[in-house]
Amino acid sequence: MTDTITAPRGTTTRATDSRVTARTTTVKKRKSPRRGGSHTIAHIVLGVGGLLMAFPFIWQILMSLSTNAEVQSVVPTFWPAELQWQNFAEVFNRMPFLAQLKTSVLITVIRGAAQIVLCTMAGYAFARMRFRGRAFLLAITLSILMVPSQVYLISQYQVVQGFGWLNTLAGIVAPGLFSAFGTFLMRTAFLNMPQELEEAARIDGANPWQIFWKIMLPLARPSINVLAITTVLWSWNELLWPLVVSTYSDTMPLSAGLATLVGDKTTDYPVVMAASLMAMAPVLILFIVLQRKVIDGLASSGLK
Amino acid sequence: MTNSTTRTRLVPPNAAAPRVRRGGAAARRDGFWPWLFVLPLLSGIGVFYLWPIAQTAYFSFTEWGVFGGATWTGIANYTRLFADPQLYSALGNTLLYTAIVLLGIPIAVYIASLLNMPGLRFASFYRVLFFLPYVAMPTAVAMVWRIIFNGDFGILNYVLSFVGIDGPYWTSTPGFAMFAVAIVGLWSSFGFSMIILGAGLKNIPPELYEAAELDGATPWRRFRSVTVPLLTPSIFFVMIITIISSFQLFDLLYALLGSTNPILPKSMSLVYFFYSQGFVSNDKGYAAAIAMVIFVIIGIVTLLQFRLQKRWVNND
Amino acid sequence: MLNSSSGSGAFRRRGLLGLVGAIGLAALVAGCSTSPSADTASAGYTAPAKDLSAEITYGLWDQTQVAAIDANIKEFNKVYPDIKVNVNVTPWDSYWPKLQTQASSNTLPDLFWMNGPNFQTYGGAGKIEPITSEVSAGAIDPANYPQALDDLYTIDGTQYGVPKDFDTIGLWYNKAIFEKAGVDLPTASWTWDDFDSAASAISKALKKDGIYGAGGGMDGQTTYYDTIFQAGGSVISGDGKTSGYDSAASQKGISFWTDLIASGGSPTIQQLTDTPAIQWFTSGKLGMLWSGSWSRTAVAESSIAKDANVAPLPTGEKQATVIHGVSNVVAASSKNKAAAQALQVFLASKEAQQQQGDMGAVIPAFNGTQQTFVDSQPGVDLQVFIDATKYAQPYPVSKNTAAWAALETTILPDAFSGATPVADATKDLADQMNGLLAKE
Repeated sequence: MTDTITAPRGTTTRATDSRVTARTTTVKKRKSPRRGGSHTIAHIVLGVGGLLMAFPFIWQILMSLSTNAEVQSVVPTFWPAELQWQNFAEVFNRMPFLAQLKTSVLITVIRGAAQIVLCTMAGYAFARMRFRGRAFLLAITLSILMVPSQVYLISQYQVVQGFGWLNTLAGIVAPGLFSAFGTFLMRTAFLNMPQELEEAARIDGANPWQIFWKIMLPLARPSINVLAITTVLWSWNELLWPLVVSTYSDTMPLSAGLATLVGDKTTDYPVVMAASLMAMAPVLILFIVLQRKVIDGLASSGLK
Repeated sequence: MTNSTTRTRLVPPNAAAPRVRRGGAAARRDGFWPWLFVLPLLSGIGVFYLWPIAQTAYFSFTEWGVFGGATWTGIANYTRLFADPQLYSALGNTLLYTAIVLLGIPIAVYIASLLNMPGLRFASFYRVLFFLPYVAMPTAVAMVWRIIFNGDFGILNYVLSFVGIDGPYWTSTPGFAMFAVAIVGLWSSFGFSMIILGAGLKNIPPELYEAAELDGATPWRRFRSVTVPLLTPSIFFVMIITIISSFQLFDLLYALLGSTNPILPKSMSLVYFFYSQGFVSNDKGYAAAIAMVIFVIIGIVTLLQFRLQKRWVNND
Repeated sequence: MLNSSSGSGAFRRRGLLGLVGAIGLAALVAGCSTSPSADTASAGYTAPAKDLSAEITYGLWDQTQVAAIDANIKEFNKVYPDIKVNVNVTPWDSYWPKLQTQASSNTLPDLFWMNGPNFQTYGGAGKIEPITSEVSAGAIDPANYPQALDDLYTIDGTQYGVPKDFDTIGLWYNKAIFEKAGVDLPTASWTWDDFDSAASAISKALKKDGIYGAGGGMDGQTTYYDTIFQAGGSVISGDGKTSGYDSAASQKGISFWTDLIASGGSPTIQQLTDTPAIQWFTSGKLGMLWSGSWSRTAVAESSIAKDANVAPLPTGEKQATVIHGVSNVVAASSKNKAAAQALQVFLASKEAQQQQGDMGAVIPAFNGTQQTFVDSQPGVDLQVFIDATKYAQPYPVSKNTAAWAALETTILPDAFSGATPVADATKDLADQMNGLLAKE
């Protein structure tokens, strides 16, 4: 239903492509003074909002460099008297950071790759192909989203046990290869794409796989990027499952290692803060490095 | 290669034609192909999710021993559940949380459209700032927020004291606790909404704005009559995901309030209710019934949204 | 006799699992893996051959003790070089859901930590192996450990583990705060009244500094279980069948805290939730702290270390404290039971526990190994915690402790904050708790 509305929109864009680019440039030129004015407001809103959003992290960085007493002083200490860099070094004594980092990276890469492949394929079929039981299978798949993961923890564990995958990387990784969310996301993406490209390719004699692989997949890149980001973050931060299914501390991911550190009876705030920052840093850096490619890239890949 | 050939063929004065054709004809043509596309996913979904969920559904009709061993008790768990005031209090808390987190979506639309302004400087810098919370590990940030919310040395109350407000003990006063949790929930889901909506905005053809502008539409009007309608698929997607994940509130609540917080029983979410019955009080059959109720509630809400989405889009 | 009863437990479990199996392949697989469990139980324990080769897992939740445990295992491997022990640490909040999942699937770690509140749930379901054979073979002698803790890990006369460590509760205090407030330091002969007046006096004198007289974690173990026992009351009857909350003595034990908070002698419940009592104390904002021996590390590492000392809890009708200790238990489903039991026996030995104590991780439970703990912080009278074993009472438990413990955390906070009168709250708690106990 949605696609009947959105598909023609895509077509219009494509058909008028060259005209549009020409026109936008002239428009931009014409309007630049007024745009400048509204940019000021935008900068104020974005600056203040962004600061509020980032504040907990700034606070966290400051605390990670403070002493425990400074963290707990009644009048907040905004700047530590002396920067306590050793808090970061201490993290390596408290948890097997590098081993857990390796595990985190490994499971994240595997699940990311698998979800991109499986969800894109299934999402495409659900959006663009006709087959018996499609609506039913889609509804069933989506219904999984509606059940909290704690609910099926024990049953899922027994399935993995049945495969003999306890304490293995396969066990940690397996359920996360398949994502109902990813399928939903990719289906939405394919629904919004123009029908005509496919039709044309079909007339050219391309088979469905070729159409998917050569035509639709490149078009879906922005959404695949979104899927990649969400999968990486989810996988990186997931806590309960890796804890339950793995038995050896040094093969646990960072999220589990951090929870173990926080769970200690003695709460040493600064070291916990330092460990938190270190555990989040890899994905954060990855995002900052890739964000231009990932998000700014949405425009070009989406419309050309 | 294929791309360019198709594009030349695309010149489409006839955009309506293909639309009519997709129907029965396509069904025959696709043959076994769709199964090739969906079976890898469906097999995993079936084994790792559907089967465990089906088991849970079965257990909800049983008295389930701590370590397995179920005796069929019919609908006993459900009759007990619907008479349990904790269900309604947990449902109320969850709805409150969901409502507050949903408030983030209009804000995200606004921020995303600001970030989408052509030629905006520092756009990527701002984007990183707004996206940061989504990246954060729940265990890691809950700690910071607890310190920010701390009634005695927290910076929030310190700042409020300048405006003459004597701040409450946020995470240990029943009314405020859910509010505090929802603020963090909104904060951490904002980046996701923003990125999805941002992608949707990029897909709106600029010429529509120009056309509206030529018609003399004000920026607000352009936003209302071009941006919002064309963004509805993304808005709906974000809404559905937000609602579904808000109804599953657990980790954040647990991490922010702490497992020994005395107000936890009064600030329980549905999933926390499930968890406390299933994993703390060892009443697993009852917990399974709670799980099924959560499932049905989310299912109904989602279905309503899909209905609403169809009507909204069709009427437009 | 005892062995055969555990054997029938295993049978019953398999029957039940079969039922689950009827609806599921996965559960069937789990059912099959129980089969090796029944046999070794009936054989008497003999120390396995030194060249026994096995790989076993040891599950626990406290990362801070891992160094001492690794040292233990190194010693163990001098005797059994071919038994590889994998230590698996799971943080507290996830430890129990994980253990439940593993127990449901018969994949428990070969040896793992057990605590009092959860013990009967696992012991009663036949998930853990009794130590009967090890005791009758003379490999473990329960007389070497505090009696209250042997009792804690015993169901119907069958013992499933001995403690690896113990903790009792004491009254930590900050000398500097007492001096500043001009109040006399706590002594071993303090009564409830002495404590109350000191707490109020400190709060009154040092209010402007944001310092309070006393506080506690407001959980049973460190606060109200102790005062209930001191008032001569009980949390649960000796047979574990009825609640003790509706007795006048138990209500007095609860009122102790309600009154303390109402008098301003303690921070409010909200303040203690936002900032745990231990942090109030270690940041120099609390004169007295009801807390366990485990707080030693936190106190020693804090900025108030030089001002801290500890005294016995004040006396009510009588002197009392809760004692609790963690135990190492062997999984009934273990495939390497001989190796797991060898490690269990080793960890129960004086040698191993002495080493635990020397590394300062905990107070070892083996009688006579506690001196290192006592000496670990000169100037602090840690002997208090050891002497407390003389009048200590075991942590109150039943078959499904968690169910009614959840009620305590739901109902009692309203009493502490003054929102509900103590008599009403305890009556309500007792009624609901009796309902749950009747179902056990």
